[in-house]
Amino acid sequence: MGLGDEVQKAFCSMFPSGNCGVHLFWRIMHLILSIWYFFLWLVDMFESFLISSGLLKRYKTLDISKVQYLAIVIDSEEALQTLKVLNLLVWLAAIGLKNVCLYDNEGVLKRSEQAITEILKSEKRFKEITTSNPPLDEKGMSLEFISFSDGKEAVARAANFLFKKHYSSENKEKPNFTESDMAGALREIGYERPDPDLMLVYGPARCHLGFPAWRIRFTEIMHMGTLKSMKFGFLVKAIRSFTMVHQNYGT
Amino acid sequence: MRSLQLQALQLSLTPSLFKPKLLSHLPYSTLRLPSPPVASLPRNAISISQSQQTGVVQNGAPEEEYLASLPEGLLRELMPNHVAVIMDGNRRWARMRGLPIWSGYEAGVRALRRLVELCCKWEIRVLTVFAFSSNNWFRPKVETDFLMGLFERGLRDELENFTKAGIRISVIGDSTKLPKPLQVLITEALEVTKNNSRLHLIVAVNYSGQKDIVQACQSISLKVKDGVVKPEDIDEFLIEDELETNCTDFPCPDLLIRTSGELRISNFFLWQLAYTELYFEHTHWPDFGEDEFLEALHSFQQRQRRYGGQNS
Repeated sequence: MGLGDEVQKAFCSMFPSGNCGVHLFWRIMHLILSIWYFFLWLVDMFESFLISSGLLKRYKTLDISKVQYLAIVIDSEEALQTLKVLNLLVWLAAIGLKNVCLYDNEGVLKRSEQAITEILKSEKRFKEITTSNPPLDEKGMSLEFISFSDGKEAVARAANFLFKKHYSSENKEKPNFTESDMAGALREIGYERPDPDLMLVYGPARCHLGFPAWRIRFTEIMHMGTLKSMKFGFLVKAIRSFTMVHQNYGT
Repeated sequence: MRSLQLQALQLSLTPSLFKPKLLSHLPYSTLRLPSPPVASLPRNAISISQSQQTGVVQNGAPEEEYLASLPEGLLRELMPNHVAVIMDGNRRWARMRGLPIWSGYEAGVRALRRLVELCCKWEIRVLTVFAFSSNNWFRPKVETDFLMGLFERGLRDELENFTKAGIRISVIGDSTKLPKPLQVLITEALEVTKNNSRLHLIVAVNYSGQKDIVQACQSISLKVKDGVVKPEDIDEFLIEDELETNCTDFPCPDLLIRTSGELRISNFFLWQLAYTELYFEHTHWPDFGEDEFLEALHSFQQRQRRYGGQNS
């Protein structure tokens, strides 16, 4: 007799009334698990509160020099919550991060770029803010707004560029393309931007939703939950976790 | 009848046990519970042969027995078609135990064998494993030579078993840099298993995600030069068709598992992972077993995947 049969036999002996007993048992299990998850949620909320109020020593001094370029990927539905996005940017500025790339698949953030930057400029700390291919040595915060068209579609355009440059001429020599050629092509068509060191993903799914593939070879990816539930404490915790990471780049 | 009713009741209730809606916003790392016990297998389901060490899986179980062998809590319709794995942590596993790193790699091979068996058992269609990155050549030569030898031995030892088990093997990456005997063996393995269809095992060796994109663009340029494709037709779909994953009907993984707690892709499947569920597991690869795989699958089945679109 297999284990499943034994368990079923045990259930039947414990609950002679059959399915009602089993149903009740599962409901009790469900309640226990819900209470456990609620407890975990309380613990996380408390930790976030401690981090936000600066009571946890290890979070007081955050070495953000490792985060030269931060990518924020937001689910397009959630990206409609412009106030939440603004709040997130304010937090990032408060932490001291200078170079932030905002991505969503459908370009919701791109369409909100003007509104977001105007509101931010009205905030004192955002007096110096640059967008749309800003140079990285600016004093203030630089924001990059991108969408799917800056990812796979950009690579397709780069492929077209490479073909025209190397294959469409009468020159008989047809070189093999290299990664440098592709990087050069992306630069020529206006898509050269740094690779993010860290990517924070806000949304229900734990995926990067088509963020430009060329740029995320060694990017650390952290799923932060939904934008609705974002907490300053979780943000600081994620960044601190990243600063503790050692990358060996495959060697 | 009673066992079917019990099973149906369990399947209907089990998904809601794992994450109440209140807590769905929390990052996954805070919600880890021990995975539920695996259901025992009916006597005549897919069975592991006597030589459990070699991990031979035998073919031939009919559909009803497959359904019964899927662990409790997993829904067939939500199983991923394509699972990709970055097998990280072999060296750290060995160091933690005071063993030479070779032991870590050998333990990693055993873990891979276990995973292949499970994928066969649970009818996952495609399994891709990131065995060796183009960056790994920077490791000491003695280590890379050992790895090449391990690939060759592993492939030679398992080829017959894979053939019997209906596993098709493909190798992606730049194989021209691999030792000649290994290249010959790979060619043989691809040929011998090309008609198998139970599981497609794709092994990425000397693979680079960026290089994959570049070679796809190169292929397209050649096709345009030959008049097969027009320049204005170059788009992301054409590029995807030219990537090395065009050897399978499911080129984009549904689920990516990376072991050892590292939270990055490391130049693996850069293009293909756009909408892939990323599951980062703390266990080192040699310790990744059935329980860990189950947990990854449970997590996958709970996620709301939109593939870039809106909710219907």
